[in-house]
Amino acid sequence: VPDAPILVVDDDPTILATVSEALDLEGFPVVTATNGAEALIVVERSTPSLVLLDMRMPVLDGWGFMRVVRERGFDLTVVVMTAAADARRWAREIGAQDVLAKPFELDELVNAVARFRSV
Amino acid sequence: VSGLDQLQYLSWLLYLVVFVAVLVRTIRRPTPAHMDMTLFFGATAVVIVVNTLTLRLHVAEQTWFAADLVGATAMTLGYLLLRLVRDFSDVPTWLVRVVEVGLAAAVIAIVFAPKPLPPMVAMLLVTYLVLVIAYDTWSFMRQARRSRGVTRRRMQAAAAGSLFLTLTLVNAGIKVATPSVSDMLDQLGAALGLLSGVCYFIGFAPPTWLRRAWQEPELRNFLSLAATLPRLPDTRAIVCELERAAADALGAPSASIAVWDANARMLQIYVRPPETTMLAANADPGRAVQAVDLPIEDGLWRFDPSSRPVTGRAFLEQRANLVTDAARVDPGNAVAFDQYGARAVLSAPITAGDKRLGVLAIYAPRAPVFANSDLELVQLLADQAAVILESRALIDEASDVRAREEATRLKEDFLSSAAHDLKTPLTGLVTQAQVLQRRAKRNPEAPVDQAGVERLLQQSLRMRDLVLELLDVSRLEQGGLLGERRPVEVAQVARRTIKRNPTWQRVKVTADASQPAVAALDVVRFEQVLTNLIENALKYSPHDAPVHVRVWNEANEVLLSVEDRGIGIPFDDQPLVFDRFHRARNVDDRRFAGMGLGLYIARGIVEQHDGRMWVDSTPGQGSTFFVALPALEPDHTRPDEWSAADEGRLASA
Repeated sequence: VPDAPILVVDDDPTILATVSEALDLEGFPVVTATNGAEALIVVERSTPSLVLLDMRMPVLDGWGFMRVVRERGFDLTVVVMTAAADARRWAREIGAQDVLAKPFELDELVNAVARFRSV
Repeated sequence: VSGLDQLQYLSWLLYLVVFVAVLVRTIRRPTPAHMDMTLFFGATAVVIVVNTLTLRLHVAEQTWFAADLVGATAMTLGYLLLRLVRDFSDVPTWLVRVVEVGLAAAVIAIVFAPKPLPPMVAMLLVTYLVLVIAYDTWSFMRQARRSRGVTRRRMQAAAAGSLFLTLTLVNAGIKVATPSVSDMLDQLGAALGLLSGVCYFIGFAPPTWLRRAWQEPELRNFLSLAATLPRLPDTRAIVCELERAAADALGAPSASIAVWDANARMLQIYVRPPETTMLAANADPGRAVQAVDLPIEDGLWRFDPSSRPVTGRAFLEQRANLVTDAARVDPGNAVAFDQYGARAVLSAPITAGDKRLGVLAIYAPRAPVFANSDLELVQLLADQAAVILESRALIDEASDVRAREEATRLKEDFLSSAAHDLKTPLTGLVTQAQVLQRRAKRNPEAPVDQAGVERLLQQSLRMRDLVLELLDVSRLEQGGLLGERRPVEVAQVARRTIKRNPTWQRVKVTADASQPAVAALDVVRFEQVLTNLIENALKYSPHDAPVHVRVWNEANEVLLSVEDRGIGIPFDDQPLVFDRFHRARNVDDRRFAGMGLGLYIARGIVEQHDGRMWVDSTPGQGSTFFVALPALEPDHTRPDEWSAADEGRLASA
């Protein structure tokens, strides 16, 4: 669904706003969530074209979100955004398609989004 | 031969056997105690032999010589027994002199008084003997009470022997006075004599098997320590327990373990205050025990093994030895040995394989407390101590490794936490700046993206705070966080800090106006502490709840408290809140941003001011953080002087 929005999930409001603004600037539709639970509500309503997912979050973290997603059989494309040192391993473990290691640059963000949106 | 006779002969035979046994032992090892035993049992032997010859075999029955010899020798028994008392404990010298004079008078009376002895004289003689032996009995009993283990049992046996001897004499006196019940008294006398002999035998010359049996419970106790002792908190505690158990096993009042410090090439003894040692408690109460002038540092007395021939020799030669007169072997330390009532010292090297660990020394006021066979026993104890100390060393080594691993892990945790916390604002910073740039490039005419600029600024400030926190921590850990310290009035600093922050309107300051609390502070750093405490208080309490800062004097300290009505800190977390990166479990990580270094830095600053910091909190009701600083006299402060200079520093900080 090429026109479906991109779901950005991050508990840091500033990061959430910055990433939204960057994607918006490139013309991508964006929805946001500040934790895994909020993200699930969004996902239930309509499948996003891509999920940018932070891992450490309150209420329901990245791992919990992915577990529920698997249990309910949602087919999502997920890119993990994390500042953790073992970002790559985490991404592999939860079955994400790619990783954006914080701090990332605007081009990396846009390129990753463009790549998965065109698939 | 009647039953009575058999009993009588048995008793006599026993005394003769004991005499021969102690004689042989004295010839082999002529110590004063052995000679005194030989004299005592020799005297009884003379009385028995002469009595047997005259009364039973009717040899030389009518000679004055035989009667006088038996009488005079019998009179010496009390005195000889007193010499034995002196071998095991202290007897006042004047008392020995009195008994000696009494003995001389008694012998003169027996030899020169007309026969048969006038009843008055006979009465006096028996009274003298009974009194002396009664004193001996009491002395042995006293010594038994003061001793432990095998020595206690030996002294009890000696006391019992003397008691039976006293009764034997009283019985003989009654027999003379009332010949009508003579038969029964004869039987009683023979039985008492036999009992007395048995008691003396096991008291003064206990066979090795009996010593072993007596030592067994204490020895078993000592050996069982191996399982529990290495788990005690430190080596000092282990050594103290081992010393007590070793002394008990040998029935000695005290023992010491000198631990070998291979680096310093010194033996070291953990010194306990003299009043807690058994030896001091055992010393003659009439003699004041003064503190011996030993070079003691940190409760450790260190010495070169070659400078101490008494305990050092066993260590240097790696062989157990017995010193019977420590003051003579080591005259330089005679006063110390005397004051601690340690005359006989039994020492054995504590060695594990070829690793020298130290030396075990057992002290007793008198050499006869020990037997020759105790050398093997003390070596056995020392070997057991070696096992225990070596296990302890291994446990220490393992926990050292664990502590190093833990320190490394904490450091890695710190680095990865710091990295994580820095990367988040850094992401916002870089991305937001690039978004602004891209927006400006694409459409130079568009108005400035105010929200984006605001986010950029927020992330920059957050980044700055984190970097400053990290710099503070690294400087704190190097010990050089403080600048110049000056006497200031603490309440005044608090008021200025609060006034500078317009959003802190619900913070109230109370101070004792009558007595200004003054301390020497680095004002900039102290404001940092206050700011941190107040920010925490505001952060963790409802928006309308008051925060109260109080300043007052208490003892020699200035106290400051910051009290809130917030969420409080779980009891388990309270000791940890000042740790690096610790955040209490009831704190939502994301709602309260920060690296968790604030309180760690605050406490570091307070401690560098020679102060203390702690928290008192009830979960759900609020927390009160306290700061205590060394107080100065109020007239030290000149408020006008510091304010201007510090404003400048605050502005530049």
